[in-house]
Amino acid sequence: MSNDDGLWAAVLCRLQSAREIYEGVYMAPYRSAIHREYLRQRDLFFLLGFSDLLGVPNPVQFYTLELYPELIEQFHRWHLRMGMDEPPEGGFRCC
Amino acid sequence: MTGLAGLLERRFVFFGGKGGVGKTTVAAALALQSADRGARTLLVSTDPAHSTGDILQAELGDEPRPVVAGCWALEIDPEAEADHYIEEVKERIADSVPPRLLTEVERQIDVARVSPGAVEAALFDRLATIVDKDAEGFDRVYFDTAPTGQTLRLLSLQELMSSWIGGLISRRRKVNALARMWRNVAGAAAGEAGDGSDPVLVALEERRARLHRVREVLSDPERTSFAFVLVPERLPIWETERAVAALSKYRIPVGAILVNQVLPVTNGGGFLARRRERESEQLARIEEAFRNLPMIRVPLRERDVVGVDALRELGTAMVAGLW
Repeated sequence: MSNDDGLWAAVLCRLQSAREIYEGVYMAPYRSAIHREYLRQRDLFFLLGFSDLLGVPNPVQFYTLELYPELIEQFHRWHLRMGMDEPPEGGFRCC
Repeated sequence: MTGLAGLLERRFVFFGGKGGVGKTTVAAALALQSADRGARTLLVSTDPAHSTGDILQAELGDEPRPVVAGCWALEIDPEAEADHYIEEVKERIADSVPPRLLTEVERQIDVARVSPGAVEAALFDRLATIVDKDAEGFDRVYFDTAPTGQTLRLLSLQELMSSWIGGLISRRRKVNALARMWRNVAGAAAGEAGDGSDPVLVALEERRARLHRVREVLSDPERTSFAFVLVPERLPIWETERAVAALSKYRIPVGAILVNQVLPVTNGGGFLARRRERESEQLARIEEAFRNLPMIRVPLRERDVVGVDALRELGTAMVAGLW
């Protein structure tokens, strides 16, 4: 009897790992697609709100000033993602 | 009801026109008339030249100050408004920005202060506060605006800012929705979830609501009217024609044309008679150009109109038989 229990536990454990592998294989591309899209949209939001930091005129620069404190940490990640190791000219020297 | 009465009974009246045609004089004279007829009236000058204080011979400031019984006045200083806003932003930022970044952020904010559009944005902000808050307790608010070009620029900028902020808001919503999806599929890898409220979105939505409230007031013919002041000469007529067309593009109701410095009918011959001939040609031109609008003539006075008494006298002459 106890032998059977041990067997079942082992089977369940294998099934669980098989499921994790399947989910990993199935979900991973989906997950990374969502993440890419999330970053893309966030970068676009930055571009619309803070284009002045890249030297592109921004008609609402004066009003987006008040958003700086909320977004300053993300700003650093943004310019790295934009392919600029150094922050853009005119922007924050954040690193 | 005559044109002038219909105009002056609006809650918000804007006086616009080319520089030097007498906007400030006409607005101040009519504000005093309104007050003398029992309406609590606030005269607001948005003109950086600050002539309202000069003409009323009163020291004016950013808050309403009494001029005579029933009449208050204030002068907006757009530069000071912009400075004030910058200081506010800096104060708020000091709490939330890591100290190592503070100098950089402040530098960036100072750049924004001198950027094009900053002063207009600040001025628009102050107008929003006047419409929202200061106007309470007054029956009528008369605005003495900056010369035509600046006023139109302010309106077009407002339109642009509104739609830009609208774009930012819908973009931000999309970002937030994607962030939620990402958290759902990635679990712990996505980092901590917030409490669902996004301060950036809240700030943007407040901004847009503020712009919209001013917009609504400006384009509501029940509450608001725009009066153009001009003198019977070619250039002011042309400029006013263009301005009236531009305002109709922004769906802002124009209520009247006030023709300032019209020569009085006297028996003076020679030079004066010939001037009057030229003038009547221009007056005909004005009537033709603005035939859908009531036209009110403001007589040229013997002396410069300065001080409350002279303004009252001018106002009485304007409304005689017209109120």
